Amino acid sequence: MIVQTALLVGLVLFSVLAIVLRDLLKSAISLAVASLLLGIIFFRMNAPYAGVFEISVVAGLITVLFILTIALTGAGDEVRESRLVNWVFPLVFVAFIVIDALVMKGLLGKIPALASGGETGSFGDVLWKGRTFDLVGQIAVILAGVFSVLALFRKRDKHD
Amino acid sequence: MTDTWYLYLFFSAALVFAGLLGLLARRNLIKLFIAIEVIAKGISLLLLGTGFAKDNVLTAQALVVTFIVVEVSLVATALALIINIYRQTKSLDVRKLAKLKG
Repeated sequence: MIVQTALLVGLVLFSVLAIVLRDLLKSAISLAVASLLLGIIFFRMNAPYAGVFEISVVAGLITVLFILTIALTGAGDEVRESRLVNWVFPLVFVAFIVIDALVMKGLLGKIPALASGGETGSFGDVLWKGRTFDLVGQIAVILAGVFSVLALFRKRDKHD
Repeated sequence: MTDTWYLYLFFSAALVFAGLLGLLARRNLIKLFIAIEVIAKGISLLLLGTGFAKDNVLTAQALVVTFIVVEVSLVATALALIINIYRQTKSLDVRKLAKLKG
């Protein structure tokens, strides 16, 4: 429990760093570290497949895509961020954490969630038999992503 | 089990709120997208945390895997859009997108 809490605190810290840091490259790396921590948390929650996906896809592929975009767009140094935000962000965030700690316990009983029940079978059974429609949706989403990237990077005719 | 659930819900709410604050406060398009990613992390933690607390880890895991696939597709499309916007406006400032060019 203590290790899990420490990992969760690290996850929130690195996520906040990813938003607060000025340098985009450092932000992207902080986000990757946060994903790595989330992957470890998933492993410790007996969810190895989700952990593997989180670490390989989110911490790996998405970070590479972010760094590639930062390199292609020249790091976006010309954007001037508001200075007031540097003060307001931590204050509002700490206020929210306090409210969160006070209110969340009371909300727990009111949240409708899945009824507790032991599951049988393996992850493969649940994914292929129970969530078959999700897989069809995943294929559709991946194809949509591929086509949209192709459309966005197509070469334009000269008269366009 | 309620304590575990409370822990995960508490931290996922913190992540989602940090992402929302980032969306409100930042002006750089890539920064805005990083904030969206932070929100996505909060959502996946919420899904798996609830599954773990309610003894439904396998279903929650299947949902998280689906969510990650959707997230990757979204990231690829959005970053391609950001690169195109940079080519058009030579800037990543979100305020410059307020002007319509016809």
